[in-house]
Amino acid sequence: MTKVPSTMSWRTGDNIASRPWRGRVRDYDLFKELTIGVVVVGLLVLGLSAIFSSPDDPGVTLKSWAAAAPADFVATATAELGGSSGTAGYGPPYNSTPDASQHLGFFNPQELSGVRLAIDTANDFVINPLKTQSTQLPAVAVWTAATADQQAKWAANYSAALAAAPDGDPAQVAKGSYGPVPELAGALLGMARSGNLDGVLQNSGQPYNLNYTPTILFLGDGSYFPSLAAAAHLTGDQWGVMNETGNTPGQSWLWLFSLFYQIEPFKSSPNADILVVSTMLVLSLLLTLLPFIPGLRSLPRKIPIHRLIWKDYYGQR
Amino acid sequence: MHELLAQAPLPVTPGTYFGWGPVMIQSGNLVVILTMLALFILALILPFPGGRSRK
Repeated sequence: MTKVPSTMSWRTGDNIASRPWRGRVRDYDLFKELTIGVVVVGLLVLGLSAIFSSPDDPGVTLKSWAAAAPADFVATATAELGGSSGTAGYGPPYNSTPDASQHLGFFNPQELSGVRLAIDTANDFVINPLKTQSTQLPAVAVWTAATADQQAKWAANYSAALAAAPDGDPAQVAKGSYGPVPELAGALLGMARSGNLDGVLQNSGQPYNLNYTPTILFLGDGSYFPSLAAAAHLTGDQWGVMNETGNTPGQSWLWLFSLFYQIEPFKSSPNADILVVSTMLVLSLLLTLLPFIPGLRSLPRKIPIHRLIWKDYYGQR
Repeated sequence: MHELLAQAPLPVTPGTYFGWGPVMIQSGNLVVILTMLALFILALILPFPGGRSRK
């Protein structure tokens, strides 16, 4: 009779896994292990939480932005009116700006999703919130009565004038043809300062609102919010994916994701996100399919680190 | 909740960072990674718990 090699492979038909165990046996108490595990991990969690706490930085609101950086707020509100903000040119799912989305060759998932959360920045972020005020601004009527070209011209003129003013201060802007834009941006700043704009932009008509998308988009279009992120090392080129505010440990297991954003060609690519995600997908597939990849699956035999860990066992063989 | 958010002072806490060229690491992450490496090295060096009694 030929001796069948003892392997776990299903291809040999050896079926070693169904044979009865003939080696040594020992008692094992699952409940004891579970109890010890839960108690030890629970004590560790409570103890470490008490010592190190968790990040508790205050949220950034439109109110706090308007109070801390009013000039930036007015410049951003003007960009929203003129359709020149980041959100206005983002493409799907907010609008259909051509060539704005990231793609991998012909594969363009952002375009495939379509415009699912349509946002008209001028109306949604500025005009409609101002219309909710008890006293209606005449400037709103002037704006809505103007043609799109005229609106864009007013907003572009005022944006350029704000950029040229000392510290971007709206009070020091030179005279020009701005139409109702300064009044609209100023009124919106007043709404934000009072805290009303946070409530209006987040008002979804439901008793409980969990949709902060409009507020976050508006915040992200300014310079203030991104500068806070940069100060806390949370932007993409600062390994931000794996960081947390302060000294609290962040998502350090995302180091590989974060690494790709620091190196070329990913770093300077306009399609960085989809390139990094695709690369990670390929690497994850390689890891998942490792047992089936010749060469790679033999690595543990060639680099026998496991023999160091279980050296007692391998020492006896 | 809006009131709580609105009263919040700014800015955020920056934290301590170490950098070598393009590599930048936050102190908390560095501690976690060094601890993981130390545990791995200990797993290589120390005998398996109860391993001797099995002989």
